Amino acid sequence: MKIKVLGAILIALGLPFSVQAAEKPHVCVVMKSLANEFWRTVEIGVRDYAKENQDKFTFEAVGLKNESDIDTQINAIEGYITKQCDVIAVAPANSVALIPSIKRAMNAGIVVVNFDVRLDKKAAQQMGLPEDFLFVGPDNKLGAFEAGDYLAKNLPKNANVVIIEGNPGAENAIERKEGYIKAVNDNNLNLLASRTAHWETEEANTLMTNLLTRYPNIQGVMSANDSMVLGVVKAIEAAGKTGEIKVVGFDFIAPVKQLMKDGKVLASEDFFGKDLAVNAVKAGMKIYSGENLTGWVKTPVRLVTSKDVQNEMPE
Amino acid sequence: MNTKSITRSLLKEAGIGLALVLLVVLFALSHDKFLTVSNISNILQQISINTIIAAGMTFVILLGGIDLSVGSVLALSAVVGAKIMTEFGLPSDMAILFAVLGSVICGTLCGAISGAICEKWRIHSFIVTLGMLNIARGTALEVADARTIFGFPMSFNAFGAQTIFHIPVIFIVAVVIVIIGIVVLKKTVYGRMIYAIGNNEESVRLSGHNPKFYKIIAFAICGGATGLAAVMYMLRLNIANPILGVGFELNAIAAVVIGGTSLFGGKGSMLGTFLGACIMGVLGNGLLLIGLGDFTRQIITGVVIILAVILDTYRSRLEAKLTE
Repeated sequence: MKIKVLGAILIALGLPFSVQAAEKPHVCVVMKSLANEFWRTVEIGVRDYAKENQDKFTFEAVGLKNESDIDTQINAIEGYITKQCDVIAVAPANSVALIPSIKRAMNAGIVVVNFDVRLDKKAAQQMGLPEDFLFVGPDNKLGAFEAGDYLAKNLPKNANVVIIEGNPGAENAIERKEGYIKAVNDNNLNLLASRTAHWETEEANTLMTNLLTRYPNIQGVMSANDSMVLGVVKAIEAAGKTGEIKVVGFDFIAPVKQLMKDGKVLASEDFFGKDLAVNAVKAGMKIYSGENLTGWVKTPVRLVTSKDVQNEMPE
Repeated sequence: MNTKSITRSLLKEAGIGLALVLLVVLFALSHDKFLTVSNISNILQQISINTIIAAGMTFVILLGGIDLSVGSVLALSAVVGAKIMTEFGLPSDMAILFAVLGSVICGTLCGAISGAICEKWRIHSFIVTLGMLNIARGTALEVADARTIFGFPMSFNAFGAQTIFHIPVIFIVAVVIVIIGIVVLKKTVYGRMIYAIGNNEESVRLSGHNPKFYKIIAFAICGGATGLAAVMYMLRLNIANPILGVGFELNAIAAVVIGGTSLFGGKGSMLGTFLGACIMGVLGNGLLLIGLGDFTRQIITGVVIILAVILDTYRSRLEAKLTE
């Protein structure tokens, strides 16, 4: 309680500035961990967009210390309610825990847009959110399937593959795993193991090294993000199997782009982090000006292959 | 040296050594690839970073302190080293030299600052290093702008992948650090002083020595070891990332405690820490090889940590009996 009061006071101190701009809607974005390279890109993208559209709305954003920092997100939303902002776009760190706060914000007449990770449908209904509550975000499952499918097309029939998972329980980790599993099943690949490396390079390196010992016959790797791809590629190099094992990832971060240029990574799924929050803000502004948006506004995902990268003009 | 004291010094590491041998035998029986040269080489590679951090941590824990910031300091040191290596357009030899120095100095400074604050205001290191954990992590993110840094000189990357008779170079570095640690703790005045302060700080002070100085040095050693571990990390993965090393402090503390060092200070050894790190590494590798799922592995790791320490209490009781 004390923290909330303190938060309210702090926000109140900043209030005089935003009140003056009352005619322009105030848009607040609640993001995930800014310590994550991908979210840093999301943040830069949306800040640039807000700067370009200064005349249309005022803007602020908050990020988290780490991926599972649910409390900070709840506190941020409470703060924004107190502050009476007009639009909140939120990328929930947890698909259930944020629902009550979102409900409170809506009751206070604030337009809320759910982006990146979809709120749990059942829980959302139970807690009284509209049945077809708007979600703006990428189709992680489709993206992972695309990457996995492309891997399969580049491997012989019944090839042996492993999946490197993200954090157990994280929504996008689950969806990406589902997409990869679908690619495995549709292409009759032989899945040797599916293990987590918690999104982390070092852990993925250790995991992959040990998997290679247990299954020397691995031919393909599907990784739930690109940070883990970095560790996987090093493990393959250390085992002297560069070129024998094909790797696909997700996020398309800069270091992996380099590896794709060198032919060490087959493909990665780009889902345009720069535009992710921007799309959510755009949707929020539409609703604010009276449009009725529901359902799933899919943001693009695109498979980028090493060939694409190699064909690109040198910068 | 009489028979009693020889038995006693053997016993000191026997409990933990026995646990390690047991684990190795168990895994060797359950999976035929466990005892292969390449797998052992992998395990050695995997334990190197934790061994170096834990070696530094041993100094601090022997004093009855703790350093929770090592994971973040590792990230900061790596990011600083990586920036030096990639951003100043230095010739690759110079770049590598300055990067290594930069990482180690950065780690040493973080440790020294934590230690100095603990001593100046008499705050428990638990709190100060908790603060440093956040400061170092935030600084690392700021310096790297939350991005992964890559594109190190080829010679640097190639060196990290090298092995000598199948022994990874980064493991050799780890062993050298452990040996230096053993010598410092056993043979130098400074080392004996660490034990003395851990046992009874007041009596050290009354005997005319200033414990503050020795304690700050211990934190600096811990930080310096962490900075060196950051270099090992970059050698191993050829990238630096400001979010690396989350939770490394707990692995290092686990290795030290499994190795028989008392969290209350004054009791323990560097060799024990090394064996503790080995146990952690063997466990991680072996459990995966025998094909256990993620969650089961985590449970078993927890159980083994506790069992190792229980085993150690029997060892101390036996030792106490022999002393009588």
